[in-house]
Amino acid sequence: MKKKLTMFLSLFFIGIGFLTAQTQVRGTVVDEEGEPAVGATIQIKGTLQGTVTDMNGNFSLSAPTDGTLVISYVGFVTQEVNVSPTVRVVLQSGTRALDEVVVVAYGTVTREAKTGAVSSVSGANISDAPVVSMDKALGGKIAGVSITANSGQPGAASSIRIRGTSSINAGNNPLWVVDGIPVLSFDNSYFMNTGNLLSSINPNDIESITVLKDAAAASVYGSRAANGVILVTTKSGKEGRASFSARARYGASWLANDNGFGVMNAAQLLEYQRDAIRNVGQDPDNPTSTYYRPKEILSRPLTNWLDHVTRTGNLQEYEVNASGSNVRAKYYSSLTYNRTDGVFYGVDMNKITGRMNADYKLTNNLETGTRVNLTYSEGNDVPMQSLYYSNPIFGGMWILPWTPAYDDEGKHNVKIPENSNTNPRATAHYDDQFAKTYQLLGNIYLQWNPISKVTLKTTNAIETVHTEGRRYWAPETSEGIATVQVNMQNYVQLTTSNTATYNDVFFDDHHVRFLLGQEAQKYTGRDLYDYAQGVNPDIPYVQTAPQPGLIAEQWYTARTMLSFFGILDYNYSDKYYLQASLRSDGSSLFGSENQWGTFYSVGASWNIHQEGFMENLDFVNLLKLRASYGLNGNNNISAYRAYGVYANTQYNGATGMLPSRPANPHLSWEKNGTWNVGLDLRVLDRLDANIDVYSRKTSDMLLDKNVPQTTGFSTNFLNIGSLMNRGVELQLGYDIFNTNEFAWQVGANIAFNRTKITDLADNEEIAYSTDGRLRHVVGKSLYTFRLRDYYGVDPTNGDALFRDEQGNLTNDFNKARYVYPASPEPKFIGGFNTSLAWKGFNLGAFFEFKGGNHVMLIERRYLESDGAQMSSNQLLTALNYWKKPGDTGVNPKPLAGNTTQSNNFNTTRFLQRGDYLRVKDITLSYNFPGELLEPIKVKGLKLYVSAQNIYTFHDVDWWDPERGVDGIGYGIYPMTKSFVGGIELSF
Amino acid sequence: MKKIYLLMIVAALLVVSCDDFLDEAPKMQQSTELTLATYTGLNNATFAAYSPLVSTNWYGASFIVDAELRSGNGYRDVDKNSGRYTVPYNFSYTSTATPALWGTAYYVISAVNNVIPELEGKVGVDGVTQQDVDNLRAECLFLRGLAHFDLVRTYAKQYTVDKTSLGVPYVVITDPAGQPARDNVETVYNNIVADLTEAEGLIANGYTRGGVASETSVVSKLAIQALLSRVYLYMGEWQKSADYATTVITSGKYELWEADEYAAAFKEDAQSGGEVIFDVYGLKANSYDGYWEGINWLTRPDGYSDAAASNDLVELYDEGDVRGTMFVQNLDEAPAGTYWTTKYAGKDKGTPDVSNTIVLRLSEMYLNRAEAITRGATVSGVTAVSDLNAIRTKRGASELASAGVNDVLKERRLELAWEGHYWYDLARTKGSVTRVHYSGAEVARNISADSHYWALPINKRELDVNENLVQNPGYDS
Repeated sequence: MKKKLTMFLSLFFIGIGFLTAQTQVRGTVVDEEGEPAVGATIQIKGTLQGTVTDMNGNFSLSAPTDGTLVISYVGFVTQEVNVSPTVRVVLQSGTRALDEVVVVAYGTVTREAKTGAVSSVSGANISDAPVVSMDKALGGKIAGVSITANSGQPGAASSIRIRGTSSINAGNNPLWVVDGIPVLSFDNSYFMNTGNLLSSINPNDIESITVLKDAAAASVYGSRAANGVILVTTKSGKEGRASFSARARYGASWLANDNGFGVMNAAQLLEYQRDAIRNVGQDPDNPTSTYYRPKEILSRPLTNWLDHVTRTGNLQEYEVNASGSNVRAKYYSSLTYNRTDGVFYGVDMNKITGRMNADYKLTNNLETGTRVNLTYSEGNDVPMQSLYYSNPIFGGMWILPWTPAYDDEGKHNVKIPENSNTNPRATAHYDDQFAKTYQLLGNIYLQWNPISKVTLKTTNAIETVHTEGRRYWAPETSEGIATVQVNMQNYVQLTTSNTATYNDVFFDDHHVRFLLGQEAQKYTGRDLYDYAQGVNPDIPYVQTAPQPGLIAEQWYTARTMLSFFGILDYNYSDKYYLQASLRSDGSSLFGSENQWGTFYSVGASWNIHQEGFMENLDFVNLLKLRASYGLNGNNNISAYRAYGVYANTQYNGATGMLPSRPANPHLSWEKNGTWNVGLDLRVLDRLDANIDVYSRKTSDMLLDKNVPQTTGFSTNFLNIGSLMNRGVELQLGYDIFNTNEFAWQVGANIAFNRTKITDLADNEEIAYSTDGRLRHVVGKSLYTFRLRDYYGVDPTNGDALFRDEQGNLTNDFNKARYVYPASPEPKFIGGFNTSLAWKGFNLGAFFEFKGGNHVMLIERRYLESDGAQMSSNQLLTALNYWKKPGDTGVNPKPLAGNTTQSNNFNTTRFLQRGDYLRVKDITLSYNFPGELLEPIKVKGLKLYVSAQNIYTFHDVDWWDPERGVDGIGYGIYPMTKSFVGGIELSF
Repeated sequence: MKKIYLLMIVAALLVVSCDDFLDEAPKMQQSTELTLATYTGLNNATFAAYSPLVSTNWYGASFIVDAELRSGNGYRDVDKNSGRYTVPYNFSYTSTATPALWGTAYYVISAVNNVIPELEGKVGVDGVTQQDVDNLRAECLFLRGLAHFDLVRTYAKQYTVDKTSLGVPYVVITDPAGQPARDNVETVYNNIVADLTEAEGLIANGYTRGGVASETSVVSKLAIQALLSRVYLYMGEWQKSADYATTVITSGKYELWEADEYAAAFKEDAQSGGEVIFDVYGLKANSYDGYWEGINWLTRPDGYSDAAASNDLVELYDEGDVRGTMFVQNLDEAPAGTYWTTKYAGKDKGTPDVSNTIVLRLSEMYLNRAEAITRGATVSGVTAVSDLNAIRTKRGASELASAGVNDVLKERRLELAWEGHYWYDLARTKGSVTRVHYSGAEVARNISADSHYWALPINKRELDVNENLVQNPGYDS
């Protein structure tokens, strides 16, 4: 440790030798009409030092005599002028695409200067879509970034995969960095089905999101960068006088169902059952038959249970925000209320978010500021995410249409034997399942330019999450016994991030940026849980339960991390760029022998269009070749895995301690080495293209390795195993028309990724931890289904046929061979969009697609059971069954009480291609012209209507093709579609 | 220059002191070092080492059920089974279908091996006496001996059959990187005897660990001596076996059950004053409780019911012998005609029920001594037939006039049926399995004395990761 410190300090002071002469600059900034530009930013190039213009467009500051000033103003081209005692700048309107600044790790970069694979989305593209959380807004927008909704529930978390999947036992979600601070992003659901910590940030507060995809861009985040890094920058005050805006939107939502999917009505089901009964030689009209299904059933009161458990969802959102600045201060603040009522009874999400971003210049070279986000959210839901009887999407499909919804007293009927006497509507009505979450994410920074070219910055952040959860089983739904479970969770993450940056230009053409940094982070998580059975329903709290019904548990975890890092950027004459980064991370998660890891990257790019030989090719605005290699890590494992521990054991009425896990002092990071080669092109100032090719190797993959049981343990968690991800990404944008009157843009992106397991140490194959139907097999994709080989129906008799070990057909399920037919991983993902602007009208459409993946529909075991389930409803698709010799491509002949295993859920029968093309968003908006609004003192007025997920093209026999990253997600809340209308007013 | 000083101060602040910042030890579990650092921790760790005995891999189910199904005492009802336990009944053992005892027994061995060296230097701290430490050490040595004894008689040929053949690794130091080779059978037995006799010498007279629900489920000096009697019996050390049996019998601590106590004794919760010397305590709150996989549910006609009793066994009992009534037919929906043992019928603790598994009891001491005497041991005032009749008179069975080896072995089968003895008794006496009432694969009906099945296979997963381990003959490796 001491050595690291010495190295750090000596590196640090190298930068301080370069002291140069200063001069006082006075200047004016005006626009094309000569009007003063109020609040334009003047920055000394290569530093964060600068100032803003006053009400008359004037500024003054002290700058190095050989320096350059960068003048930027929203809506105008950024300009550079050499330092001289007096400066007059005339701004040119319009922003050149190449000057767009992209936020990258610990800084910003122009598109022309970037060396890594970096993509960004501006806030404008995020806030238009009526999404509750920012992760949802990214889907299909960036090549190689796959956002898979884990459920359609309001506020649900997503699984985000950047360039495939890199790990089996460490995590696969990227690192989220908000305003420079790594934040918590795990699913914090406890009683609820899902809990998305990222939803605490209002998408409309976001200025930009940048995705760092390759090692060159991400490796400076070291041991957390293996799955990519997503940088979120929130809005800061806009230059100019205070402006206020108010937004409101309202919408309605429904279950997405574009293939006429559904269950049978009573008449269809009865006929189906009667057929199944006759197929086993019984008489459905015989009261003594095992299966007595007289036609009289249809004259009973009938219930459409799916209708009974669903409703029209709705969403509403109201927001006010204010922003502005003066010479010294900038501020942005917002307050938002969001409420979403789900399409199932009992599911809703309420959220209030407040944000205050402020920056203040204390002196000309000292600036401070804060970013504070406060959120309160309250979510209610019902048991979903698995096939619970109380799950409305499953119960609604399962319960018989002739089972009444209400009892004789008009209460919810809970005598439903086919559904274990559970009525999902009663559950939604009587039971509780909620989480109330309080979140604070705040940082304060201090930035100082002690001398020209050197910027010191310290950012200190706190993130806290406090959740209070409750689950209550009411006596009405639980045979008279009231049970309550409560929990309190508390997470705290403290971060300090400190950097020193040195910027300089030597001999005119040699640009150097050198950054040194240090970070420390501590995370603690606590949880208290109580379970109390037999509480008094009038006082449904823990203390009314009898003693034997009480369980109390406590949990605590903590992890710390300490880091030192450096970045070196060099560019020669804006033609040749070199970037290198080095980071050393120490982590409490890893063994004492491997507590520190070193990660690095090297990247280079060549702006070919700047070369002399390109001079005649004026139509080429940008032609850039990039290449990089880097090594980063994945530290996403639970705490204390390196410690040998003893755990409690109960025996013979007493408690003792048994060895629970062996010590592993060598436990270390998973490592990712990534190559990336890319080409960026812009021609005719209207066509953009980026192509990237990458190869990413995970090594030292954490796996359980078998050890001799004579050691007292069966497995050790070791760094063994390796995995490859390879892929190609393409992003295109084209401005078909771009006039003041009419603009039409199109864009598209597509990414191909292949995973391949290259080494699992001793094993050829290991089971996926959450579902044995998926396997990790050496030489195959990371996830591969292993299923019995279903062939189809025997055209002669309607039996289900399987292939046996020899490939012959058999109707004996037990002889069916296992095959590895497909993977849930998509072979390609992407999206395309178009936007048309004419006068004040704007029409935008955005499509997302995914292909080559397979999904497994476990539910069909029960709902397309070929007669195995005689006391439940069945899917409409079950009606397509074998009726006469010669029928092929149909379901097996239904047999009442079917025991042939034709409906077994470990067969390829329920595996389907998961390809889809989703019309994700169509939005039409109208901005009222300024002349109309001026008399009423309104700056802007926008009305819009938007349709989300309005249609999805797919062939999956289910509501919606999205089934989570493993393709198995049974019982999940399906995706919904919605219509939203909104108004935005600014003044 | 002033600015440079300022910079230096800032830089120094940036680098926080970090010597212990990265140390985050688990709070909700105890580190191995901490557990083993104090007498209290060692005491907890010693007691916990009993816990896996009740695992379904051992006395909680399969060690007993497997042995009975192999030996011919068990039967598989064709209409009433759950598909469990087909391997021992059909002898479909392969290198991947092996007894599960291995991992659990070595886990207990590792648990006590962790404790034993750490006992050094604990005397005198916080009032800990030499005897306190000796008692812990004795418990550890007993468990290590018992675990190796059950391992060696399962995975190796018997001492009396071929003591030079491969036994099991006798592990006295658990090395996380160790790949121990198999010691020969003789070495294993010598180590068992050494551990048990050391334990016998260390443990205080009359000591049993306090604070537990059942005192017979923790070690006492008599339990160590009773196990020594059995180990010597397995070694053919007849006089020593007889002497240790005599020590236990004459201790006065235990009493043979009367006929009318016999059935109830197997339903007793915590034993005292009867026959039980050492047992494994069943309780739902046990961390290793098998629940549906426990021996109760496996041997019940209304449970999984995979382990019925064969008519070959049931028909051996004389009319009036109370031991012949320890079987039930037609409980609930069970098919008529099949018998099920009631030795694990439970302690009325719900469904599934739990029961204790008896490891050592007084009758066995009489039987050990009787067998030893028929094979040459001498004990004054006692004969083989007097020992057998001591039991038989308490069971409602007729007294025998004389007793040879075969009479003793038959009595042993009758008395200790379904307690996991018969298979191993056949093994060490070079017997064979002959099954008349049998529903399994025909090839496995009879197991001859020279069959390779008398030493069961070691699991392939173990051979794959320990290059010094050798599979038993007759199995694919």
